[in-house]
Amino acid sequence: MSRKIYKLHPISAIINFLKGLKELIIPIGIILMSRFFNQSEGMDFWTDLLPLIIIGVPVLFYLISGIMKWLTFIYWFEDGELRVEYGLFIKKKRYIPFDRIQALNYKEGIFHQLLGLVLVTVETAGNTDGKPEVELTAVTKEAAMQVDEEMGISKRKARLIEEDVGLEAKNKINVEETGKLIHKMSNKDLLILASTSNSIGVVIAGIAAILAQFSEYIPYDWIYEEIRMFVQFGIIIVLFTIIICFLVAWLLSIAITFLSYYGFSVTEESGRIIVTRGLLEKKKLTIPLNRVQAIKIVENPLRQLLGLASVTVESAGGGAIGEKEKKMILFPLIKKQQLFPVLNELLPQFELDVTLTTPPKRARSFFFRMKLLWLIPVVGLCSYFYYPYGFLSILLIIPLILLGVWQFHTTGCAIKHNQLTIVYRIISKVTFLVEKKRLQVVVRKQSYFQNRRKLISIQGTVMSGITGATAKVSHLNEDDADLVLNWFEHEKKAKPIE
Amino acid sequence: MIDLRNVPIYQIPRKGLTVWRLYGVIGSVITLFVATGVFLSTQWQNWPNYIYYIVFGVVFLEAIATIWLIPNIRWNHWRYEVREHEIEIQSGLFVVKRTLIPMIRVQHVDTAQGPLLKKYNLSNISISTAATTHTIPMLISEDADLLRARISELARVAEDDV
Repeated sequence: MSRKIYKLHPISAIINFLKGLKELIIPIGIILMSRFFNQSEGMDFWTDLLPLIIIGVPVLFYLISGIMKWLTFIYWFEDGELRVEYGLFIKKKRYIPFDRIQALNYKEGIFHQLLGLVLVTVETAGNTDGKPEVELTAVTKEAAMQVDEEMGISKRKARLIEEDVGLEAKNKINVEETGKLIHKMSNKDLLILASTSNSIGVVIAGIAAILAQFSEYIPYDWIYEEIRMFVQFGIIIVLFTIIICFLVAWLLSIAITFLSYYGFSVTEESGRIIVTRGLLEKKKLTIPLNRVQAIKIVENPLRQLLGLASVTVESAGGGAIGEKEKKMILFPLIKKQQLFPVLNELLPQFELDVTLTTPPKRARSFFFRMKLLWLIPVVGLCSYFYYPYGFLSILLIIPLILLGVWQFHTTGCAIKHNQLTIVYRIISKVTFLVEKKRLQVVVRKQSYFQNRRKLISIQGTVMSGITGATAKVSHLNEDDADLVLNWFEHEKKAKPIE
Repeated sequence: MIDLRNVPIYQIPRKGLTVWRLYGVIGSVITLFVATGVFLSTQWQNWPNYIYYIVFGVVFLEAIATIWLIPNIRWNHWRYEVREHEIEIQSGLFVVKRTLIPMIRVQHVDTAQGPLLKKYNLSNISISTAATTHTIPMLISEDADLLRARISELARVAEDDV
């Protein structure tokens, strides 16, 4: 392979610089503020200049280091590895074999979009601080595609060497490049997504928080006066206002959803899942199919009612896929009937069709016991502080018991061949699918009371991000639970290497 | 196939219980200091007397719990077993937790020893997988070293794919 060396686009010097500046915003702000307030005091030339120096030196430092990083940063492809080198005094070299790459992500900020560039981040399983291993700050789209292709080439070579790959895979090589569209979201889907998401609640809470912040500026006396008038207008107007509030929250939620999920599409291309999304900031995430650790199907109550679900993928690639999301959203919203064929096509190793082992009848009370225990101090405090009405908080028992019973009816687990399926509910119903070879640890938990009723909770952990992802199925029969542990234990007669 | 699982065989050495109790003593002494502080300020500030009783009641209860009760229960529950293909650890106070770690998932094994443990010639051994870390505490140092060597040897045999 020829060793051709690539450089980043010059704009990355500026981006580096701005990124450094971002960290300085707070100190600069403080210095400017203090200057602003100290105006009145008499100052000589030097004290006048000092803050400027304090600001100026780091700014200059970041400018130079930004440029230096760009000047020294080179990357190339060799021996099936992505190799990166940078640094002026301390040369840093990082070589990443392509088959160790967990995820390849593209992101286009506003800067990038103007110049037709992309930010490429590369992640392996080794990152512990949540930062990607390699970040190509700004490269042209062609160069970004090239990283992708080089990875594909080396993957394909590796695959050809394996003997048990049949004709099918070779055919795939001929067809490749185009990629197969697995799932695409229409605008209507996005609308439903926004309307059924929990983020409406978040938006309402956000508005409330902002209002609370400004509460001291709100002329309450005036408002009370207004409200008196208001009530006279009758209940209809009150209702109307509430509806308006919800409408605003709903519209905001739609706007947020459209910003981050616009044009959402999932494609499969030579053994990788590629997810593209975003309106202003376009994001493209790539995860090799064989790095998928587990999948999680989440149905919140509203969506469960409508037969919809969202699907996330737990991948070994650490928390850096997006700074906020720890796991990758595969399908933000999909009809459950559609899910079966689509998932079967994309990740055939997972089976959705399993019969669940459910907790026994005697476990039912276990699902709300603890919650009721928590309720005691809450009711106690409410009754104490708001005496007559506070005692009504005891009515919370009813929804809590109902929730517990609902959780009891949802919970279950199943073992089919090499797959463990765990279904549980906090409020949303979660179905967790994992292969035996991806499970890191299985834990069996039994409290004193569970021991008396012969019940056991089982918990499985897979690698995902820094802490891993855990699913728990509660209060199973002892026998059923131990079956899971026995299944997870090494089978003596099995082949030495799975 | 449906048989109840046996409890892992090995227990933490008796010395470990002593160290846990010592930890309890240290903790109790610290709270005793805090309590004395509160006591002095009650005297000084003329706070009501019952605070005095509450505070020392708390210290007394804490001492009983952390020196006698909790270490005993813990020590009774702690069990471990290192087999050819997996490690099984049982721990817990009110909730008995049994963890099953396949050898092929073990990434690395550490032993650690603080000053108090060193005095008693004990070590903690911690086993890391790609996602989690599990500790077997209070093992006799030689045993811990042997165990660590054995785990890493067994873990090396199996191939890993994350």
